[in-house]
Amino acid sequence: MIEKIFYNIINKKQARPLETLALSAGETELIEEARKKIDRVFGRSVRIRQVDAGSCNACEWECTALINPVYDVQRFGVDFVASPRHADILLVTGPASFSMALALKKTYLAMPEPKIVIACGDCAADGGVFKGSYAVTGGVDKVVPAVSRIRGCPPSPSAIMTGIMETIRKLF
Amino acid sequence: MNPGNELYMTVESEDEFIRRSVELFGRNGGRKALRLMFAADERETGAGFNVYAVFSGMGEDVFDILRLPIRENGRGPGYKSLTPHVPAAHWYEREIADMFGIIPEGHPDSRRLVLHGMYPEGIYPLRRDVSVQDIRKKIDLERPDTYPYMKVKGEGICEIPVGPVHAGIIEPGHFRFSAVGETVYYLDPRLFYTHKGVEKHFEQIGFENGVALAERISGVSAFAHSTAYCSAVERMRGITLPVRARAARTFLLELERLYNHVGDIGNMCAGTGFAIGYARGASLKERIMRLNERLTGSRYLRGVNHIGGVSRDVLENAEETLAEAGKIKEEYKSFMGLIAGAISHIERLENAGLLPGKIARNLGATGVAARASGINDDLRTAHPYMYYDELVFETYMRTKGDVYTRMMIRADEVGCTLAIMTTILKRARGFSTGPLHAGPSAGVPPLSSALGWAEGPRGSVFYFVKSGKDGLSPLRVKVRAASFCNWPLMPFAVQGNIIPDFPLINKSFNLSYSGCDM
Ligand code: SF4
Repeated sequence: MIEKIFYNIINKKQARPLETLALSAGETELIEEARKKIDRVFGRSVRIRQVDAGSCNACEWECTALINPVYDVQRFGVDFVASPRHADILLVTGPASFSMALALKKTYLAMPEPKIVIACGDCAADGGVFKGSYAVTGGVDKVVPAVSRIRGCPPSPSAIMTGIMETIRKLF
Repeated sequence: MNPGNELYMTVESEDEFIRRSVELFGRNGGRKALRLMFAADERETGAGFNVYAVFSGMGEDVFDILRLPIRENGRGPGYKSLTPHVPAAHWYEREIADMFGIIPEGHPDSRRLVLHGMYPEGIYPLRRDVSVQDIRKKIDLERPDTYPYMKVKGEGICEIPVGPVHAGIIEPGHFRFSAVGETVYYLDPRLFYTHKGVEKHFEQIGFENGVALAERISGVSAFAHSTAYCSAVERMRGITLPVRARAARTFLLELERLYNHVGDIGNMCAGTGFAIGYARGASLKERIMRLNERLTGSRYLRGVNHIGGVSRDVLENAEETLAEAGKIKEEYKSFMGLIAGAISHIERLENAGLLPGKIARNLGATGVAARASGINDDLRTAHPYMYYDELVFETYMRTKGDVYTRMMIRADEVGCTLAIMTTILKRARGFSTGPLHAGPSAGVPPLSSALGWAEGPRGSVFYFVKSGKDGLSPLRVKVRAASFCNWPLMPFAVQGNIIPDFPLINKSFNLSYSGCDM
């Protein structure tokens, strides 16, 4: 057993605690390409700070699902971190409520360069169902410069994962 | 036209309002619960401002609704605060003051609740003569926020501010701890960072579009919210749902409870650093969410509910669903076996975050938090809706009120939920494959109103909907999510605990910020 585990670690075989999500051919290719860029630009792994700027919370649960044993994005060198000081990507959910605008801006400013902002979910993209309400700015890039948008309400965990990877592949 | 179990009573004086409320609520909240309290601006109908308080309890399917017409005096509208007599009214009254400028005179806490510093004084978003543009023009992001946090003074007191952006992937809120060493002496939470102006938005978008909005008030209680909203409008229109639709809604309400409770039990493991428990809980939750997606096309059970019925026959292919439910049950049993055997985990849960029953009753706790603190309250049996009155099931109550008890209430309820789901699926074979939708009906009568409710995973969810003069759009939609009732309990539950236990206690309540902030 122990030998097997070490064999897997040395040969970078993924541990599969449960039915880990199988990737399609397209996704595998995308992730491989993005990983090369992650290696080069961010020094082998990319760290995400997630900020809820007024979401309904479903988008966060889908982000949380990314680190469950089924999606397990950590296997691709992607992880969520607690401090913006450690983060390369700011993943923002929610329509950017006025009450969260300042905290969102401060989080962005606290991140070191290079940094990118990704808007996650329909309401982060343009306000979604809350568009036209008095209390929301109507999209993340009203407050911080978002370079891409992941659509969906909420986007599925796989959509968030490929959205992040595609952004990295396109940008660098 | 008011649906049958809503008994309205207009009270003429403020003293009578207080007297009747105390009568219904009981001293120390022994009688009926204050379900919701809200104001409405009905000046366009000639009725002025009104404050409503809705009471109900177990054992009698009746809502007592008091209506207090608000007087205008020189300083603007106001009335004598109910909070000194009925403590459960405290947040409602502060909300009413923020949103309508109706001042509860003599309220013990005159700070703002919902609106933060960028909203200048004198903007009352829910007044009907205030337009969205008016508000947006006045919002000033540069305006400093001067919220006066409660100060605790004394030797060794240290103030620890946390948030609104937290370490994990969670919603935003600010917590101001006053601690002595590691022990929390006082916690002053400040929420409403995710305030999205939902109630006003309902008035702008019309009845049908309201369903999608209700589904997005609190992400993981989407179906409870849409059911409550739809039933309010259905009651206004006098629609009765075909049995297949009622059963489908009930089934999905239970499915929502299932994935939440399982996820919550797993998340509590994260609170104690019990990684394998957390991972097992998360995988099982994922499995249930895939069932959600297969049945409804949405992992969050969105898009199925419509005013008048449901759009998908979730009860077809019952055999397949039954088989999956069986597998979930097996996996759940083994998951709970793992937790029960983890002594170090269980010991952290015991005696942490005690919520005394008296405080829970006085402040109007709901849902799991209430049932773990000795309050026997469940809307499924108190006011049976949808298919619940054709089911026989147990509601659970325990009395200790600590984190462990809250976990166990969830565990009890998961068993019950799985049984209800199985029963409905089995009975569905016998239902006629009739329509899932009530037939065409008249529109919403002008100036009608109704309550809608559901027992969501976190507790009771209420909607009050009143239509405008044309019957085309709502004049007022009041949303009361479970978390709005339970957030004020937090400071009491964490007092005397150590700060590292705060995340655990917080997870045991699993409160929604978005549902509370709206
Ligand atoms: S995009 Fe949809 S799921 Fe995501 S936060 Fe907005 S409303 Fe919620």
